[in-house]
Amino acid sequence: MKRDIPDLAGGAILAAIGLFIVIYAAVHYDMGSVRRMGPGFFPAMLGGVLAVLGLVIAVPAWMRAGQETPIAWKDALAVLVALLVFAAGVERGGLVPVTVATVLIASIAAPDRRLGWRVLLAVVVTLLSVLVFHYGLRMTVPLWPS
Amino acid sequence: MSGWEGFLHGLSVALQPEVLIYCVFGVVLGTFVGVLPGIGAMATISLLLPITYYLSPEAALIMLAGVYYGSQYGGAVASILLRLPGTPQSAVTTLDGYPLAQQGRAGVALFTSMTSSFLGSFFGICVLIVLSGFLSRAATAFGAADYAAMMILGLVAASTIGAKHPAKGLAMVVLGLILGCVGTDVNSGAQRFTFGQAELMDGVNLVALAMGLFGVAEVIANIQVAERTGVPRRIAMRDLLPRREELKRIPFPALRGASLGSFFGALPGTGSTISSFLAYATERRISRHPEKFGNGAVEGVAGPEAANNAAAISAFVPTLTLGIPGDPIMALMLGALVIHGVQPGPLMLEARPDMFWGLIASFGIGNLLLLILNLPLIGIWVSMLRIPFRWLYPAILIFVCLGVYSVRGAPFDIFAVALIGAIGYALSLARFNPALLLLGFVLGPLIETNLRRALLISRGDPMIFLERPISAAFVAAIAALILVSVVQSLRRVRPA
Repeated sequence: MKRDIPDLAGGAILAAIGLFIVIYAAVHYDMGSVRRMGPGFFPAMLGGVLAVLGLVIAVPAWMRAGQETPIAWKDALAVLVALLVFAAGVERGGLVPVTVATVLIASIAAPDRRLGWRVLLAVVVTLLSVLVFHYGLRMTVPLWPS
Repeated sequence: MSGWEGFLHGLSVALQPEVLIYCVFGVVLGTFVGVLPGIGAMATISLLLPITYYLSPEAALIMLAGVYYGSQYGGAVASILLRLPGTPQSAVTTLDGYPLAQQGRAGVALFTSMTSSFLGSFFGICVLIVLSGFLSRAATAFGAADYAAMMILGLVAASTIGAKHPAKGLAMVVLGLILGCVGTDVNSGAQRFTFGQAELMDGVNLVALAMGLFGVAEVIANIQVAERTGVPRRIAMRDLLPRREELKRIPFPALRGASLGSFFGALPGTGSTISSFLAYATERRISRHPEKFGNGAVEGVAGPEAANNAAAISAFVPTLTLGIPGDPIMALMLGALVIHGVQPGPLMLEARPDMFWGLIASFGIGNLLLLILNLPLIGIWVSMLRIPFRWLYPAILIFVCLGVYSVRGAPFDIFAVALIGAIGYALSLARFNPALLLLGFVLGPLIETNLRRALLISRGDPMIFLERPISAAFVAAIAALILVSVVQSLRRVRPA
């Protein structure tokens, strides 16, 4: 069976979002009239347009083959986990340990498997960010865990 | 203020040391990221947005603009040496730049691209001065309906012209418009789509959105790809000088490219990428030796490079005089100005001459700097291509985190960046253009305000969009664009 999966899924998701926006806006916000639009009017209109566009994308995709798209799962996971660690740790973990951890986690995705450069990179990036953001821009983040 | 007086006044602004230093920083950083495949102007400007909170609006805009046109100079380097466009605008430069490099004439290709870029920018500056004076006077006749129609035309044009899947582009624009609705409604004070999150009351954070879509998503997409760049040979100063016969083939293609570029750059929806392709096609068509194109024709480098630089400058015309960005990069610039409480529009020339003329003068200074710095320093830029991406991307991520956190000290924003980054990567996998989402996001609140105002004035009669000649022309153009894309899409489904 030949299907263009990215367009099919993308179009379907967009159509669903559009529909959700229409319903949510209709239930929660005042529509007003064309003359005096309420807060719900513009988003509901856009939601309708998005739902139609989603169908326009998804329906033809059902009938044609799509291109193979390799997904970089490992890279995406490493980068996202690194960001989450930083976000969760920045206020209590202290700038230095959190930055080191973030760089090391992010570098897992790199094609070079050796260890030395990762440690060096973590040290350099941490030093730079402490200098620029803590001392330079005077950001109020503790350097070490409290 | 006349053009010349204004320019002199602008020089007095742009040459202040605390402004000049950001201009230099912007163009150098722009060249650097332009040279490197994997990070573009869009990502870099997103990353710099938090820094602009610490600067005056003039310095901020001059720095961000410097990154943009600086990246156009740098983009050509990777295109010529590696056949990897450093920026999308320089993709067409690979066609003849890379064959020249293979014939051992990389230096000549680089010289051609740098000088043509300079010519193009200079032409663009002149067009910007003339057109913006004219447009800001004409814009006083614009009403709310005209603004709304023009912005919608810009969005439709940006997502349909030259696009393979116009529906996907339009869907991104509409999604961006919806995201722009999040937050407190200006007219009624209602909280829209905040889902009880206090952090969303001011709307989706532009910095988090831009960093997620362009910083994080591009890092993920490039970790493996950008590692595979080959190592180019060294280039010495004397390799740069073209033969006399080649030198003569630069100015006219560059001038033609510059005219095309400044025209299409100023139009909403068409920008420097399209201009560079048009310039290439034009040069090949009018050449007496079209067979040389693709095999190392100097004209094939000069035309497009002049065009994309001219377009990068003239793109500021609608942004500054109407407050309407024509492409996603300009949307980011406008966003940066709005962060500073500056709303560009027809009154900007009168109300903020420092910013307007300072920016224009900085274009002159920045491009001159790029020309005189980049030719002697070309060896350094080429060696930048040897930096492996794995050294850069963890640093970029830390910069993203600290930058977005520094804006208002909310870890919420870093979580938002991660989520938006994941969405952005998914969008790029499915070949949806996230830049159009950003364009819709920035224009959304402006369109809604003008739409509501127009219909309030007309007492709810939508005919106001057809009764006013200016907006009627825009509506006709929108209809034509949609019609053309529908016809093209139907043809693709059922080949005759």
